[in-house]
Order: sequence, then structure tokens, then C-alpha cells
Amino acid sequence: MSAGFQLIHAQPSRSWALILSWFLFVAGISAYVYTAQQRHVSNPEDRVTPTLVQMVRGMRDAVLKPAEEDEDTPEASSLVQKISASMLWKDTKATSRRFVLSLALLLPAVILGLHMGLFPFVGAFFLRFVLFFDKIVALSLLPILFIVFGIDELSKIMLIVIGVTPTIILDTFNLTRGVPKEQIVKAFSLGAGDFDVAYRVVMKQIWPRVLNSIRLNLKAVMLFLFAGEMISSTDGLAYRIGLLRRHMGMDVIIPYVLWVALLLFLVDLSMRLVNRWLHPWFKEA
Amino acid sequence: MSLIQAQNVCVSYASRPILEGINLQIEEGEFVCLLGQTGCGKSTLLRLILGSEHPTGGRLLVDGQELLQPDRTRGYVPQKYSLFPDKTVLENITFGVEVSQFGLFKRFTPGFYRRRREFREEALDYLRRVGLRETDASKYPEQLSGGMQQRVAIAQALMTRPRILLMDEAFSALDPGTRREMQTLLRELWRATGTTVIFVTHNTHEALHLGTRVVVLAKDSPEQGSREMLDLQVAENCHEEEIPRLVRRLENASRSLLAEAVPAIG
Repeated sequence: MSAGFQLIHAQPSRSWALILSWFLFVAGISAYVYTAQQRHVSNPEDRVTPTLVQMVRGMRDAVLKPAEEDEDTPEASSLVQKISASMLWKDTKATSRRFVLSLALLLPAVILGLHMGLFPFVGAFFLRFVLFFDKIVALSLLPILFIVFGIDELSKIMLIVIGVTPTIILDTFNLTRGVPKEQIVKAFSLGAGDFDVAYRVVMKQIWPRVLNSIRLNLKAVMLFLFAGEMISSTDGLAYRIGLLRRHMGMDVIIPYVLWVALLLFLVDLSMRLVNRWLHPWFKEA
Repeated sequence: MSLIQAQNVCVSYASRPILEGINLQIEEGEFVCLLGQTGCGKSTLLRLILGSEHPTGGRLLVDGQELLQPDRTRGYVPQKYSLFPDKTVLENITFGVEVSQFGLFKRFTPGFYRRRREFREEALDYLRRVGLRETDASKYPEQLSGGMQQRVAIAQALMTRPRILLMDEAFSALDPGTRREMQTLLRELWRATGTTVIFVTHNTHEALHLGTRVVVLAKDSPEQGSREMLDLQVAENCHEEEIPRLVRRLENASRSLLAEAVPAIG
């Protein structure tokens, strides 16, 4: 029975959709600003909810001034010099380096998954082990990694690799298995060999889906990266957030959190655009 | 010696028999239609000739040899997934010659780019022969209709000049008009190239229109595998007028063979 109005078949107009989609942002920001103001009225020294002005000031210092542990830049240096010596730049650079390195290490995982899916012997050799490995909670390995690899870069990269690689391997494996048998037989009947089929037929077909699967796992990569950085590091965005917590530096923590979200969004967006540009034939399901 | 020889070929999946004691000789240049109902094992027989499956009993020889895996002597056009979705029409057609003449690393030699231009010319020629325009060459398969896709798939298979062309329900997903066009096209190409064609279908009319020979596969009872029940030579000159009579004959034959439980083919 109809209630007299449509729910599933409703068609909001463009302006309605626009207003609705921004509403929670506006409401959230307004509520925050209001709370911050109220708290500052009763206690001007409040550190839990910094005002927008405080956050802008904190962020300007992060962008223009070096971190506490570094030496001050000379007064006379140019803007570019100031930014490149700044805390934010230093942290972003350190985190990005680890991030890119771990993404690069996902490539062997893709290759392994492809071979497992295509070559029965490789599959028989690795599949059970990867399935087992996938169930290990990577963070529970962190102490072991610190003991074995020390507390420097290697253990952080290893944490990401151990945490995300099994998922990527299994995803690629399943995508490879999902390629219709006809395609493989067809390629053979046209004169292709095993490795032609692997790299020229199957890999090319699953590549856009693999990229999407990596995109979905970006958050997991960041999660493990941040866990590693917060526990043991001397730079990086998560290290800074963890450090600032000790003196309640909410005026920098909140902008840092938003900055990380923005960076992740931009990485995801650029991967999506690259994917679409490289694979014009691919239709997202 | 015959090009394809099936000697008492049996296939069973997990002890369920599919084919039982198939004996078949196919000569070079024949157009053989394998006819039968869904699940009678006609596609299985095709895959045996293709080499992607192997008999569990008996021997299947192509050119006197037992098969290891599919190779470029036998072209293949399935009903679905016949084209590579990530390649354009032209790349799909040239894929065979490129891949068989230039391995993974030879592609980076200058000779490859010279040859590729020749391949493309030849591919465009095939494209025209199957009735597509040159403007279609840069399209991706999913931008084409089902009939167009199968035309490209035929061009793709013929480009490597296989001795045998194997087609598995290749026109079954097409609408009747397109299907007739494709049948005419396939007959013409078969005459022009002299390739041996093996065509699997469940449609009696299609089998009689296309083939010079129709082999019917059917089971005696559900527990048994299929045998070849009927092997019919179709004379070429009496094609059109003869067909209604032949359809009736085939359907009667299969009805009497299959007993009451199984409805007639066609």
C-alpha cells in the first residue's frame, strides 16, 4: 500500500540533493564552532576545543616553522625555504615515503596472485599458506617485528606488507580465477603461450580491478603505517599527532587529521582517474 | 588418413558419463555440425578436438597426433567471451599473428613495428570480409552488438589461418535475422578458405543450413553417456528445398531413438 509519497522512487531535484549532501558538513562545523566558543567563554585557557583562529594559527606555524626538534630557519629565508624546512612538510615527506614504498611492495603481491590463479602448481604451493597468513592479525605481530627488525623503517614497512599483502594476493587470485576460461582457450588457439596468456591476456584484463582493490585497501595501508609511526618513529604525520597529544595540541592535531584525510582522498582520486585513463574499455560494476 | 579421428572416445566427469564410445572420422575441408540437446556432450566433444579437455577413454587424434593443449592449428569461436575486452577490434584480430610471431620480449625490437603495420593491413582486409567498416577498427568489443562481436571473433580466428575452425554455439545468442546473415557469411568464408569447420549447435535448422554433414549426439538413457546417433551427409546443391524434409527426418529419428522421456531436438 502506498503512503501517498514515494521513497524508493523519489527524485530529489538538483538543489535539494546539493543541500542535503552538504548539510551534515555545515551542521558539524557549526556545532563545533559553537561548542568551542562556549567553552572559551567559560575558560579562556581551554585546550580541548581550539577555535578556528587557533587552528589556523597552529597550522600556519606547522607550515612555516620547523618542528621543535629541528633548528630554526634564519629570519631572512624565502617562503619556499621556510615551507621546505617546516614541520608539516617534513612529516608529510616522511609518511609519503613509507606509503609509496609500501605501495610499490604490493606489485609483487599482484604478480604472485596472478600466477597462483593461473598456474595450478603455483596455486597449490602458496594458496593454503596465504589463506593462513591472511588470518594473522598484523598488529599483533608488531612487537615481534620490532624485536626482529629493530624499531627503524624496516619494521614499519614490514608491518604494512604483512598486513595488506595477503589481501591483495587473494584478491588478485580471485580476479584471475574469474577470467572466463574461453578467453584463455581462445588465446591458446591463436598461438599464445603460457606467459603470453598470463601477461598479455589475463593481467591486462584484471589490472583495472586490481587497481580498484588496491584503492579499497589504501585505508588499511594507512592504518598500519600510522600504527607503526605512532609507536616508534622520529617523524611522520602520525608521529606528530601522537607527540602533540602529550601536550594537548588540539589546534594542530585536528588540522593534521583533516590533512591526512585530504591526502588520502587525493591519492584515491588520482588512482581512479589514472585507472579510467589507462583502461577506457573498463566499465565499473 | 582422416584429419580428425575419434576412436572409441569416452568422457566422464566424476564417474558421470558424458560421452560413450564415440567413433568419428572427419576429413579435411568438411563442414561438420554437431547437433544435440543441451547437456548431451557436444561441447565436450568440441573441447576434446580443441585440446582443452582430454578423453578419459579411447583416443582422439588430430592429424595423427594426440593433443596436449589448444594451439594455433585449431581456431575457436565460443558463444560468449569470444573477444578480449581490453583490446580494440583491430588489436583483437592481430593478436594471433602478433603473439605467435613475436614473443614477450621480441615486441621491443624495431622489426615488430614494421611487421605490425602489415598485420594491420591484413586485419583490415579480414574486417571488411566479415562485413565491418574500417571505422569499427578502433572500437572496443563492448561497443559492438552481439552479431558484430561474433563477426570480429570469426575474423580473429581466421587471421591465423587455422586448419580447423571450432565454433561452440557461436550464433545461439543472436537474433534470427542476424543469425541468418552470419550463417551465410560463414558458408562463404568456409568455401573461400577451405578450412575444416566443426560447428556445435542445438538448432536443427541451423545445422542443416550450414553443414555438409550433420552428426547427432544423444543418450540412450539418462544414466548413459551420449553416442553418435546419426551421421548425415547433406548434399550442397539441394540445400534449401531439402531442409524441411531433413528436419522432419532428423526429428523423427531422434524421437524414436530417445524414447518418450526426452523431447525432440530443434
